[in-house]
Amino acid sequence: MRRLDRGWWRAVGLGAVLALAGAGLLGGVFILSGLYNVAASRQHFDITNMLIRLTLTRSVATRSMGVDVPDLSDERLAALGARHFDLGCAPCHASPGTEQNPIAAEMYPAPPPLTHAAEDWDAAELFWIVKHGLKFTGMPSWPALEREDEIWALVAFLERLPESGAQDYAALAGRRSGTGEVEFTFGGQNATETLCANCHGDENNPPVHHLAPGIAGQKAPYLLRALEEYASGERESGMMEPIAAALAPEEIEQLARHYAEERVLPSAAGVDMEAAARGAEIARNGARADDIPACLSCHGANTSGQFPRLDGLSAEYISTQLSLFRSGVRKGSVYSEIMMPIAERLSEQQIRDLAAYFASRAGGTGGEASAGPEARQ
Amino acid sequence: MRRGAGRVVLLSIASALSGCSGVQSALSPSGVEALRIDPLFWTATGVSVAVTLMVVVLMALALYGPLRWRSWLGGDRVIIGGGVVLPIVVLTGLFIYGLFVMQAGAVRSAREGEATVTIIGKLWWWEVVYQGPDGEEIVSANELRLPAGRPVRLRLESDNVIHSFWAPQIAGKLDMIPGRTNEVVVEATAPGISRGQCAEYCGGAHALMAFYVVAMAPDEYDAWLAREAGPAPEPLTEGEARGRQVFLENGCGGCHQVRGTEARGRIGPDLTHVGSRMSLAAGMMPNDVDAFARWIVENQHIKPENKMPPFRQFGEEELTALAAYLDSLE
Repeated sequence: MRRLDRGWWRAVGLGAVLALAGAGLLGGVFILSGLYNVAASRQHFDITNMLIRLTLTRSVATRSMGVDVPDLSDERLAALGARHFDLGCAPCHASPGTEQNPIAAEMYPAPPPLTHAAEDWDAAELFWIVKHGLKFTGMPSWPALEREDEIWALVAFLERLPESGAQDYAALAGRRSGTGEVEFTFGGQNATETLCANCHGDENNPPVHHLAPGIAGQKAPYLLRALEEYASGERESGMMEPIAAALAPEEIEQLARHYAEERVLPSAAGVDMEAAARGAEIARNGARADDIPACLSCHGANTSGQFPRLDGLSAEYISTQLSLFRSGVRKGSVYSEIMMPIAERLSEQQIRDLAAYFASRAGGTGGEASAGPEARQ
Repeated sequence: MRRGAGRVVLLSIASALSGCSGVQSALSPSGVEALRIDPLFWTATGVSVAVTLMVVVLMALALYGPLRWRSWLGGDRVIIGGGVVLPIVVLTGLFIYGLFVMQAGAVRSAREGEATVTIIGKLWWWEVVYQGPDGEEIVSANELRLPAGRPVRLRLESDNVIHSFWAPQIAGKLDMIPGRTNEVVVEATAPGISRGQCAEYCGGAHALMAFYVVAMAPDEYDAWLAREAGPAPEPLTEGEARGRQVFLENGCGGCHQVRGTEARGRIGPDLTHVGSRMSLAAGMMPNDVDAFARWIVENQHIKPENKMPPFRQFGEEELTALAAYLDSLE
């Protein structure tokens, strides 16, 4: 009996090894022979599709569990998201009132229309998908993973998409009519400026949302550098990087000149004037006890064109950028190395005061070199 | 191997000995206070050497001496006398002598109308504020100028952590404590240059926080102070003028003061007459054009964690002009 047992186990072991080797061999032959058809023109089996779909939904549900959803009720945040959607997402996903591009439609899997995205996924899941993309589907991850503030703009828009028809969409995305009367194309003087103004406003219109700073009246060398840094990825932004990368060098120069000649538009009303007065003191004289130099020693109107003017920028934009400096997201350029240690020394209160001060200021263009910041008081 | 080890020992002895002479040696005093405490060091060292020799000799006797000596050494009288009475007498004597020499912290009173200099410990440099003839503040940094033969009252302060001011050739150490002013009166005996150092650990770049003491003939000192009180000299060359423009356009004035220009920051060292100082970066670098250029670009490597950001945006033309301008601020 004993002997027989041992022989039996040995046979089972040998059989298992042979089976594994055979499977490996067959698999190798299958892969190397090229028998599997990777063609996008050929559908998966239904069972394969079902398994892929299940894996995807489970993965997104599990991985988005830790995501905290901020308040997305701000219509302007959704409008900013819509404007990015129009440039960055609609070319593949289509938008209300447009047909999907035939090339995109033949991707496999085809990018789904997103009109029902908010019904299929909750906000945290949408955020996760937009941020990380989906493997093997052609859905890319966000070009600037650390700019979660931008991704939420897109989620805010996607949340509104189910109810919006072509007209609503056109309004949200800043198109004048549903049929796309204003074409967002690069090249040609007015077209590109219209594109910029659609988010950043101009000397007559405020930016669509505070994440996009007003650029009218900004110094030309700074605008030039900002666009170059976005184009090279030195400065992180999922919204600005693709746009800057698509601009030709002469277009960047022309845009920088154009906005430098416009006048600063004062930030929207509602500035806390008491905070602004405290901020003015720091901006003009610094805070010696905290080793904070006067902001205007670099950010004044007469200083190097590489230091941006801050007049008229919204309080939210200024505090967002300061926190990006503090957390080390806005790094990588020789100029951010100057700002980073100073941003770290600012307290939350000082940031609020400074933001209020700069938001309360207006006037002047990016090219003027005569009147100092004090002169316009 | 052994020869290598021997060389290391020799080298370390040599470097230890080289500390005994030179600009930062406490053994070559050139100030009244340092001269006063100098004998204390030699007395304490002499007594210690004598006691050590005595112990060695007695130990040798106890081990190898004649029986009669050994039994004498083991007697009660020797043990009580040498083991209890002698240490008490010697140590008490040294202690009283020490109190007497150091005057137990008493400050020599400066004569009426004598100069006062306030030195404030910073991270990691020294702000030095002289008092002009009319009581006005004359701000400088990282260097203490003294009129030889005239007592000067030093007021030592700090607005951050505890530092210790130590100019070994001039006086002993004295701490700089936040919220408090420690005073010491010093007097250089003869014109000459020595070096000092922060002597209390004060954070990352503590070891890189030094300064120079320049003792000058009294009339030279007066002339120097009058010049120091004045505004920065105007640029003489085109390059220096360009340097001033670069300085002002790039926000240097947010932290640094150059009197006579719109640069009025008080966070970093006053640069009004920086070109006339012995060193840059609190004793870390020689004061020349190249050092200015290096400091502006690489200051975080030269003195890690210091409060000045690196300014790496300059092209060669701008940096050369800026360094030339700073060097011209004499």
